[in-house]
Amino acid sequence: MSQSINPTSKRDNLSFGFPIFLLSESIIFVSFFVTYALLRWKNPNWFPPGVSGLDVPRAAINTVILVASSGVIYLAERALDRHKLIKFRRLWLLTISLGVIFLIGQVIEWRNMPFGLDAGLAGATFYLLTGFHGLHVLTGVILMLYMYFRSLAPGNYSAGHQGVSAVSLFWHFVDIIWIILFLLLYIW
Amino acid sequence: MRTFNTLLLAIWVGVIILASHAMGQQAYSWLPIAAAAEAEPVGHLFSFLVTLGTIVFLGVMGVLVYSILFYRVGNNDKSDAPAIRGNWKLEITWTVIPILLVTWIASYSYTIYQRMNTLGSLPLAHLHVLEAPAYAETDNSKMQSGEHIEVIAKQWSWSFRYPNRNVTSTELHLPVNQPVHLMLQSEDVLHGFYVPNFRIKQDIIPNQTIEFKFTPNRIGQYQLHDSQFSGTYFALMEASVYVDSPEQYSEWLAQAATRSPAPAANPATSEHTQPSAIPLRSHWHTVPPAQPPVVNK
Amino acid sequence: MTEISIQTSNEPHQTTWKRYFSFSTDHKVIGVQYLVTAFLFFLIGGLFAMIVRAELLTPQLDVVDRSLYNGLFTMHGTIMIFLWIFPANVGLANYLVPLMIGARETAFPVLNAIAYWLIPVVGILLLFSFFLPSGTAQAGWWSYPPVSIQNPSGHFVNGEFIWLLAVAISGVSSIMGGVNLVTTILQMRAPGMTFFRMPVYVWTTLSAQLLQLFCLPALTGAAILLLFDLSFGTDFFSPFKQGDPVIYQHLFWFYSHPAVYVMALPAFGVFSEVLPVFARKPLFGYKTVAVSSLLISGISTMVWVHHMFASATPNWMRIVFMATSMLVAVPTGIKVFAWTATVWRGKLHFQTPMLFALGGVAMFLFAGITGVMLASLPFDIHVNNTYFVVGHFHYVVFNTVTMAIYAGIYYWFPKITGRMYSEGWGKLHFWLTFIGANLNFFPMHPIGLQGMVRRIASYDPQYTGWNVVASLGAFLLGMSTLPFIANMVSSWMRGRKAPNNPWNATGLEWTTSSPPPIENFEEIPTVTSEPYGYGESHPIPLG
Ligand code: HEA
Ligand code: HEA
Ligand code: CUA
Ligand SMILES: [Cu+2]
Repeated sequence: MSQSINPTSKRDNLSFGFPIFLLSESIIFVSFFVTYALLRWKNPNWFPPGVSGLDVPRAAINTVILVASSGVIYLAERALDRHKLIKFRRLWLLTISLGVIFLIGQVIEWRNMPFGLDAGLAGATFYLLTGFHGLHVLTGVILMLYMYFRSLAPGNYSAGHQGVSAVSLFWHFVDIIWIILFLLLYIW
Repeated sequence: MRTFNTLLLAIWVGVIILASHAMGQQAYSWLPIAAAAEAEPVGHLFSFLVTLGTIVFLGVMGVLVYSILFYRVGNNDKSDAPAIRGNWKLEITWTVIPILLVTWIASYSYTIYQRMNTLGSLPLAHLHVLEAPAYAETDNSKMQSGEHIEVIAKQWSWSFRYPNRNVTSTELHLPVNQPVHLMLQSEDVLHGFYVPNFRIKQDIIPNQTIEFKFTPNRIGQYQLHDSQFSGTYFALMEASVYVDSPEQYSEWLAQAATRSPAPAANPATSEHTQPSAIPLRSHWHTVPPAQPPVVNK
Repeated sequence: MTEISIQTSNEPHQTTWKRYFSFSTDHKVIGVQYLVTAFLFFLIGGLFAMIVRAELLTPQLDVVDRSLYNGLFTMHGTIMIFLWIFPANVGLANYLVPLMIGARETAFPVLNAIAYWLIPVVGILLLFSFFLPSGTAQAGWWSYPPVSIQNPSGHFVNGEFIWLLAVAISGVSSIMGGVNLVTTILQMRAPGMTFFRMPVYVWTTLSAQLLQLFCLPALTGAAILLLFDLSFGTDFFSPFKQGDPVIYQHLFWFYSHPAVYVMALPAFGVFSEVLPVFARKPLFGYKTVAVSSLLISGISTMVWVHHMFASATPNWMRIVFMATSMLVAVPTGIKVFAWTATVWRGKLHFQTPMLFALGGVAMFLFAGITGVMLASLPFDIHVNNTYFVVGHFHYVVFNTVTMAIYAGIYYWFPKITGRMYSEGWGKLHFWLTFIGANLNFFPMHPIGLQGMVRRIASYDPQYTGWNVVASLGAFLLGMSTLPFIANMVSSWMRGRKAPNNPWNATGLEWTTSSPPPIENFEEIPTVTSEPYGYGESHPIPLG
C-alpha cells in the first residue's frame, strides 16, 4: 500500500496527538481550579454552618491508592516493553483494581458528606471537582479494561503498544490532577 | 526623475498629514456634546486617535491604491514580477515604527486616564475583592465633598436616592460643576451606567456598591442608558439626567421632598402588561418587570 | 482506522455527490462537508441579521417583539461564530493543509470525521431551541450571568440550557479538529517540508489551532459551571449568594478573545496565499509573516480584559491589559505591511480571489485601527457596548474574515471541483459585497460614537439616519449572496474543466490533479525550496 510512504505512521501520530489532547483537557481543570481558588479566597466563611472541613484522612488514603496505582501502571508498561505479557496483565489488573477501589472510596465519601450540592459553594465546588475528576477515573478504568481484553488477543502488541502507553499517560494525568485537587480541596 | 519622485512623495506625505490633522479636528464633532469635566480629555484622546489612525490608514491605503492603479498587468503579459523576497531593513522599520506608535498611544491614553482619575471619574474601591483594601481607605478620605446619590438599577427601571434629603426620584438631577458621587447598585442582574455626554460608563454588579465619581459641567438635559444587557426590556431602561444650576438643583430637591412617595410609571411594566401590536410575536416566557420604584417624583 | 481508509482507496473513481453525505474519512470530502454546512448556517445566521436590521430600520419596535429580538441577535452571533467562521475555516484547512504539506491524509481521519458530524448536531440543537416554550437563548453570545440563568420559563430544557449544550459540543468538535490539524502539520510533512518552507496558510492554521487547543477549554469549563448554576441550583456566579459573576466574564473572554484570532489568522493565511499569485511576486518577508502568526497567538492570550474595561475591573488590570492589547498591532502590522509590499511593483491580475483579498486587506486595516482605538482604555469606556464596537468587529468578522473565506473559495474552487467558476458572476458578487458591507457596517461607527447602545430593538430617533443606511446596506449584502450561490452551483455542475494549475501558482496543492485523487499525490513530493517562488527560475518546489 502506498500508505507506507507516509513520513510518519499512524501510531506515531497517536503518541504525538494524545499528549496534546491531554494538555488541552487539563485547561478545563485549570479553569475549575482558578474559579474555585478565587471563590474560596473571596468567601472567608467557606463551609456551611456546622462543618469545619472535609474528611482529610479518608481522602489521604484515596490519594495514596491513586498515586500507588500510577506506580503500578508504570511497572506494567515496563513489563510490556520487555515482552513479559503475563506480568503485564497482572500489574495491569492491579492498576484497574486500585482505580476501582479509589472510585469506591469516592462513592463512600459522597454518601457520607455532611452537605449536598446545593449547600453553598463548598458543596458545589466539592461535588463538581471530585465528580468531574471521578468521571476521568472511570474513563481510565474503562480504557484499561479495553486494553486488557485486547492484550488477550494473541500477538496484538507485537507491533508496539501505543494504545497502552496512551492509557497509561492518561492515568498519570488523572493522578496529577487528583494531587492538585487534593491540595486545593482538602488541605487548603 | 528621482527628484521628481521624491517631490511627489513629499507632497503625498504632506497631504496625508494635513488630511489627518483635519480629520482629527473634525473628530470632536462626531461625539455628542460634552457635559462633564471628564468628557474633555476623552475628546482630545479621540481626536489624537483619529489623527494617528488616519495617517496609518492613508499611508497604507495610498500604497495599495497606487499599486492597484499603476501595477495592473499589461494585456498578454504572462511574465512574473521581479522576485523580491524581502528586505530586512524595511521589515525592521515596520516592526519598530508600530512599536513606537502603540507606545505613544498607550502612554497618552494612560495620561488621559490619570487625568480623568484626578477629575474623579473612576469607579472606586470596595467594588471588587481582588482590589487591595488599602485603596479603599485612601479614596474614602477623598470622598468627603460633593453630592452623594444612590443609583438603584433593577429590571427595568432606574431610581435615584438622595439620602441626605430624603428624596427618591426616577430623574437624576445633578448640580453643575460639583463633583458627584454615585453609589451604583443593582437588585438583580448586571446593568450599566452610561451617559454619552459624560463619556463615562460603569457596569453595575449586583450585591456590590460601586462608587462612581465625576463632575458634570454643562447645564442641560441628557439621557442615561443602561449599557450592560439586562434582559427582555433592556432597551427601555432609560432615565433623564438633568444638570442644574445650584439654585434649580436645591429648588428641585426641596420641591420633591414635599411630595408623598408613589410608585413610578415604568415603560417596561406597561409594555409587559399591554404589548403593542407586532407582526412577529414569540410568546416566550419573560422575566416580569420588578416592582417599579416608589418615588417622590 | 486503517481499514476505513483502505476501503475508500479501493474505489478511486467514486466521484458521485453521495459521498458528501456519507461518513467519509477523506480530508477533502470532510473539507467540503464543512464548507457547505458552514455556508448553510451562514445563510441562516444572515437571515437572522436581516430581521435584526429590519427591526432597526425604524426607531420603534415594529417587526419582532423584544424577546424574539434578543433571541435573534444571540443566535445570530452564536451561529456566525460557532457555525460559520469556525467550521468554514476548519473546512478550508482540512481540504488544504494535507495537500499543502504533501501528505496523503490527516493524522486522525476518523476523529476528523466525527468532529465534522458534531457540527450539524450543534446547529440543529440551536435552531430547535426556537420552538421551546422558553424560546431560544436570549442573553447575547456572551451569556453573562445572572441574566443568562434567570430561566423565566422554569423548564429544565430551556433555550439557555440548549445553548450551553451546543457550545460544549462545538467545543468538543473544535478540540478534535485541533488535535487532528496540529498533529498533521507537525508530524506529516513531506520530505524537505521544513517549517520555513511551509506556506503561510499552514502557519496561520497551526497558530489558530493551538489557540483552540489551549484556550477553548476555558469556555467549556465556564459553560459547565454556568450549566450547573442554571439547572442544578449551584451559585458559582450568583452574586446574591457567595458567587461572583465577574469570574464568568474572565473565563469567557480568556477564550473568546483568542477566538477572534482563531477566526482572523486563517484569513491572514488566505491573503498571504492569494496576493503573491495574482501579483506574480513572492510573498514579501515570508519568514517574518510566518513567525508573526505565532506571535499574534501568543499575545492574544494576554489581552482578554479589554472586553471588560467597564466591568468591575480594578485600575491596575485595566492599565496592564490596555498595554498588552496595543501590542497585537505590531505582529499584525508586519503582515499588513508585508502584503502591501507584495503588491507593490507586482503585475496585478484582478481575478475574483484577488479582488476579495485586496478588499479584505483594506477593510482589515480600518478594522484594526478601530481595534487599537478600542484598546485605548479611556476611549473604550465611552464606546464600550455601543455600535462602535459592533462596527469594529463586523469589519473584521465580515469585511475581513468572510471576505477572505470568499477569496479562498474562489481561489481553490478549480482545485476542489475540477471546474472553473464564472469570473463575471464572481466580480459582481465582489462589488455587491464590498459596497453592501461598507454601507452596512460603516454607519455603526458614527452612531456608536453618538452613544447608541447595542442589543436594543428600539432606539432614540436621533440615530435613525445612519440606521436606515445600515439596514439598506444589509439588505444589499443579503442580495449579494445570490450571485455567489448561482455561480457555485452552476459552475460545479457545468463549469469549464479546470487544469491542474489554472493560476500558475506555486505550492504543492497545484502539482496534483484537479480534483486531487483520493490519496492526493501519485508520489509523495520532495520539497526543495521556500514557497512563493514567483519570478524565479524554478517556481514550483518539487523534487
Ligand atoms: C476576527 C476578529 C477580530 C480581530 C482580528 C480583532 C482585532 C482587534 N480587536 Fe477586536 N473584537 C472582535 C473581533 C476582532 N477583533 C469582536 C468579535 C469583538 C466584540 C465581541 C463582542 O463584544 O460581542 C471585538 C471587540 C474588541 C474590543 C472590546 C471593545 C468593547 O467591548 O468595549 C477591543 C478593545 O480593545 C478590541 C481590540 C482589538 C484590537 C486591538 C485588535 C487588533 O488585533 C488589530 C490589529 C491590527 C491593526 C492595528 C491594523 C494593522 C496594523 C498596522 C498597519 C500597524 C500600525 C498601526 C498602528 C500603530 C495603529 N476588539
Ligand atoms: C462572526 C461573524 C458575523 C457575521 C458574518 C455577521 C454578519 C452580519 N451581522 Fe452580525 N454579529 C456577530 C457576528 C457576525 N455578524 C456577533 C458575534 C454579534 C453580537 C451578538 C451579540 O450581541 O450577542 C453580532 C451582532 C450584530 C448586530 C447587533 C445586534 C444588536 O446588538 O442589537 C447587527 C445589527 O445590525 C448585526 C448585523 C449583521 C449583518 C447585517 C450581517 C451581514 O453580513 C449578514 C449578511 C447576510 C447574508 C449574507 C445572508 C442573507 C440571506 C438571505 C437574505 C436569505 C437566506 C435564506 C434562507 C436561509 C432560506 N450583527
Ligand atoms: Cu439594566 Cu443592564
Ligand atoms: Cu478582544
